[in-house]
Amino acid sequence: MKYAPAALVVLFLASVPLWLGNLYYLHILITTGIFIIAAMSLNLLLGYTGQLSLGHVAFFGIGAYASALVSIGFDLHITDNYTYVLEPKPIWFAALCGIVAAGICGWLIGKIAFKVRGAYFVITTISFAEVVRLLSLNWLDLTEGPMALNNIPPLSITIPGVIDFTFWSKESNYYVVLIVAVICFILIRRIVHSRAGRAMIALRENEPLAMSVGIDVTRYLVLAAVISAAMAGAAGVLYTHYVRIVDPDIFLFIYTVTMVIMVVTGGKGTLAGPVVGGLIFGILPEVLREYAEPEIQWMIYGALMILVVFWLPQGIVPAVSELWQRVTTRGSPAVETGAAQTGQGSRA
Amino acid sequence: MIKQTFRISGVLAALTLSFGAASAQDTIKIGVTEPLTGAVAASGNYVTQGAKIAADELNAGKGVLGKKVELIIEDNKSNPKEAVATAEKLIISDKVPVLMGAWSSTYTLAVMPKLMEYGVPMVVETSSSGKITTSGNPWIFRISPTSEMEAKAFGDKVAPFGIKKADFLAVNNDWGLGAAQEFSKMLKSKGIEVGVIETMDAKATDMSAQLAKIKASGGDTLFLTTGVEQITLVLKQAKEQQLPQKIITTGGSSSPDQLIKQAGDAANGSYHLLFFAPWFPETAPNPDIATKFVEEWKKRDYNFAGLTEGFRGYDGIMTIAAGIEGAGKADPKAIQQALWNVKVHGVNGDISFIKQGPKGKESGQNIPNVFVVTIKDGKVSKF
Amino acid sequence: MEQLAQHFVNALILGGTYALLGIGLTMIFGIMGVVNFTHGELYTFGAYMMFAFVMLLGLNFFASIAVAILLGVALGALIDFTLLRPLRGADIDTTMLVMIGAWIALQNAEQFVWSGIAKSVDTPFPSEPLVIGSVSVAWIRVFVFVAAIALIAATYLLINRTKLGKAMRATFQDPETAALMGIRVQRIYTTTFALGSGLAAAAGALLGPIFVVTPTMGDLAALKAFAIVILGGLGNIVGATIGGFVLAFIEELGAGYISSGYRDAMGFLVIIVILLLRPQGLFAQKERVG
Repeated sequence: MKYAPAALVVLFLASVPLWLGNLYYLHILITTGIFIIAAMSLNLLLGYTGQLSLGHVAFFGIGAYASALVSIGFDLHITDNYTYVLEPKPIWFAALCGIVAAGICGWLIGKIAFKVRGAYFVITTISFAEVVRLLSLNWLDLTEGPMALNNIPPLSITIPGVIDFTFWSKESNYYVVLIVAVICFILIRRIVHSRAGRAMIALRENEPLAMSVGIDVTRYLVLAAVISAAMAGAAGVLYTHYVRIVDPDIFLFIYTVTMVIMVVTGGKGTLAGPVVGGLIFGILPEVLREYAEPEIQWMIYGALMILVVFWLPQGIVPAVSELWQRVTTRGSPAVETGAAQTGQGSRA
Repeated sequence: MIKQTFRISGVLAALTLSFGAASAQDTIKIGVTEPLTGAVAASGNYVTQGAKIAADELNAGKGVLGKKVELIIEDNKSNPKEAVATAEKLIISDKVPVLMGAWSSTYTLAVMPKLMEYGVPMVVETSSSGKITTSGNPWIFRISPTSEMEAKAFGDKVAPFGIKKADFLAVNNDWGLGAAQEFSKMLKSKGIEVGVIETMDAKATDMSAQLAKIKASGGDTLFLTTGVEQITLVLKQAKEQQLPQKIITTGGSSSPDQLIKQAGDAANGSYHLLFFAPWFPETAPNPDIATKFVEEWKKRDYNFAGLTEGFRGYDGIMTIAAGIEGAGKADPKAIQQALWNVKVHGVNGDISFIKQGPKGKESGQNIPNVFVVTIKDGKVSKF
Repeated sequence: MEQLAQHFVNALILGGTYALLGIGLTMIFGIMGVVNFTHGELYTFGAYMMFAFVMLLGLNFFASIAVAILLGVALGALIDFTLLRPLRGADIDTTMLVMIGAWIALQNAEQFVWSGIAKSVDTPFPSEPLVIGSVSVAWIRVFVFVAAIALIAATYLLINRTKLGKAMRATFQDPETAALMGIRVQRIYTTTFALGSGLAAAAGALLGPIFVVTPTMGDLAALKAFAIVILGGLGNIVGATIGGFVLAFIEELGAGYISSGYRDAMGFLVIIVILLLRPQGLFAQKERVG
C-alpha cells in the first residue's frame, strides 16, 4: 500500500506518450529520463557515500562508446601485420558490454581513487574523465574521433520465435527509458536500505568512526563505485542507441556538472532528489530555449546552484519534504531536520 | 511521492501551454543549422549572414510562392551531436520543409540519417567530404565542391607554383583529412612528392609540435586545411618557427582579410583557394549578382573578411527558393523533386545539380568554380 | 637534435606561465582548502581584459597587463567576499559546489559578453622571431617568459619576506593558533584568494596574446593547474613552480616525440600516475608554503 503513490506516478509517466502529441517534447522527456538515470547513479556516489566524484561522465561515455562499437563492429590496427576485427554483435550483447565496461572502470576508479580522499580524489576523477575524452578524440582508428560514430543501430529485442522488435519510434524508446529508470530507482532504494547502504551512509557521515567499528570502508566504496558506474554506463547505452551518434564531446566536463547540478539541487542523499533535479534541469533548458540565450540560461543555473547551496543546502526535495511535514504535523517538534540526511527518513 | 506527481504534471502543463503560440501559416519556413558558437563559429556566422541577405532580398521582391520567407536559424555549436538535435528540432518542432546546413562535413554526415528518416531535403552549402553525395542519400543537394573537385580544379593551376615536395597540415575531421587525401592524390598524379601529413584537433591552439615536424621534412610547400581561426594561429606560429615552406590553404574558409588583420605580416606570402573572390567581383561568372551581394554586405556593415564564406549562405538560400518555386508548394517531397531541375545564377557561378552516388539513390552535386589569391604586403591580390 | 633545442625553449616559456597558474591555485588550495573551480575563469578573464584594453580601448600593451592583473585581484577578492566568506567552515563539498556554480556563471557571462568567436590581441613586438642557431622564438614569448619569472619572484618575495607573507604561512600551518596570535584570518583568506586569482589572471593576460582568446580557454588551464598542484604538493609554492615547468616539459616532449594529439593528456596521465605512487606530491617533504 505504501507503494501506491509511487505506482501512480509511474502510471502517469507511462501514459504520457498517449496524450502528449508532440514528438519533440517526447524527445526531450527521453533525454531527460536518460540524464535522470545518470544523476541517480551519481547520487549513489555523491549523496550516499559522500564522495565527490567529478569524472562521472566518463562512465556514461564509456558505456555509450563500448556499446556503439560492439554493435557496429570495428577493426583495430594493433601492429602492421595484425588487425583485430570485431563483427557487429547483437544489441543486447553490445549493451551488456557497455554496462560491464563502465562497471570495470568504476572498479578501477574505486581502487585507485579511494587511496586518496577529499580534494585529491576530486582531481583524480576529473583527470580520469579528461584522459578518456582525449583518448576518444585522438584514437581515430577506434573511435573516429571528432568524426563521430555514426549510424549506430537502435535498441532491439530479438528472441527467435518469440519477439523481434526494433525500437525505431520515439514512443518505444520512451518506454525503454522509463522501465530502466524505474528499475534503477528500485535498485538504488534496495541498496540504500540494505546493510551495504547503511555502511555507505556511515562512511559518509564519519569515516574514521565507521572504520573503527569495523566497516570495511574501501570495500563499500568500491561497491558503490562499481554499481554507480555500471548504472551510468547503462544510461550511456540508452543514449547512444537512441541518438544513434556519439562523439568525444560526450565526455565534456560540462555534462558531469549538469549531473551534479541535478543531484545537488534536487537533494543529494535522497532517492527522489536526482529525479526532481533531473526533471527540472532536463526540461527547463527547452522551455527557456525560446526566451533566453543558452549563455543566460547557464548563468541562471550557476546562480541557482549557488543559491540552493546557500539556502536549501540539502536540496529541494528535503526542503519540500520538511515543509510538508511541518504543515501536516502542525509544528510538531518531532520533525527531524536531519531526517533527510540518513537513508531512513528519505521519502521514496 | 504525491508532491512529485504535482511537480511533474505542473512542469508538463507549463510546457504545453508555453508552446501555444502557433506560428503564422503564411510564411515559407526554411531551416538553417550552422555553427554559431564553438570552434568554427566565425564561418558559421558568415554563412548565416549571407543567408539573411538572400532572405531579405527575396522578401523585398515578390517572396517565394507569393509568401514571405522565414529563416529559422539554429546553432549546432560546432558539434555533430548538436547538429542532429537542431535538425530534429527544425523538422519536428518547426516543421520546416527544407533545410540548409550544416557547415562541416562531420555535422552534415551526422544529420543525413535524419533526412532519410523524416524525408526532408537539405542543401549543403559548405561541406566537402566525398562521402556526403556518395552514400545513397537522395535528400542531399550540395552546392559546394567536394575536396576531390577542389583538388582537380587546383591541379590545373598548380604548375606555376613549382612544387617539388609538399607537406600537409589538416584539422582532424572529415573535411581536413579528406582534403589531405585528395590533394596528395592529385599531387602524386603530377609527379610531386608528398612529405608528412600532420593533423590537429579543431580546438587546438598550439601547433608548434606539428610545425616542428613539418619544418624538418624538407618540403617546400605546406597545404593547410582548417577554419580561419586556426589558420591564423598556424601562420603566426609558422613564422615564429621560421618555416621554410610556402603555405597554401584549401577549403575556401580562409577569409584572407581576417588573416591579414589577425596574423599581420605572418600572412604575407600565403596563397588561398577560394570559391569566391570578393575583391574582384567583376571576375565572377555572374558579375552583377556578385557585385550586388558585395554591396549589400558592405551596406550592412558585416565584416568584409566574411564575404569569402557568406556567399555560400546566399547561394544556398537562393537555390532553396528556386526549388520551392519549382515545387509549387512548401512540401518536402515536392521540393526534393524540384531541386533536380533548378538553374540558379549564384554568386559563385551557375548552380545546377548532377546525379552522384549509387544508382536509384543519387544525391545532387553542383560543379562550382575555384579561385586562387595570394596575400602580398598586407593586401589580397590575384594570383 | 635541433628539434630538441626548440622543444626545450618552448617548454621553458610555457612552464613559466604554467607555474603562475599553479602557484595561484596551490596558495588557494593549500591555505584555504578550497577546490577553486573559478581559477580557470580568472585566467580567461585576464585574457579578455587584455583584449578589451589593447584592442578596444587602445591602451598600451604593458599597462594593460598590469591593469588586467589588478582587475583579476579585485575579481578574486569579490568572489571570496560574496561566496566564500559566508561559507567559511562549511565542508569541502559545499564550497566546491558553490565554486562550480560560480564557474558556470562566469564562463557563460564571458561567452555572452564577448561571443564565442576567438579574439586576437595585437602585440607591440615584431613578428620576426629571435633566432639563435636553429632555435627561433617569437619576441612576445621571450617577454612572457621574463614577465612570468618576475611575477614568480615577486610572489616568492611576498610570501617569504613580508609580514603579510608570514601571516599567510602561519595561517596555512594552523589557522586557530594564527588567529590567537592576532592575525586577522578572514583578511588573510581574502587576500590569498585575491592574490591567487591575480596570478591566474596574469597567466591569461600573458598567454592570451600569444594564442587566441576564447570563453572556454580556462577549462583546460584550470585542469592543468590542478595537475601542477598535485605534482608540487598542496600549498607548496616552490613545488608548484617546479611542477609548472615539469608539466610543460612533459607536454612539449610528449607532443613532439610521442603524439601531438595527446599533448593535453600528458598532464592528466601524470596526475594519475603520481597519485597512484606518491599521493602527497613530489615535493611534500619540503616545507609547506614558501
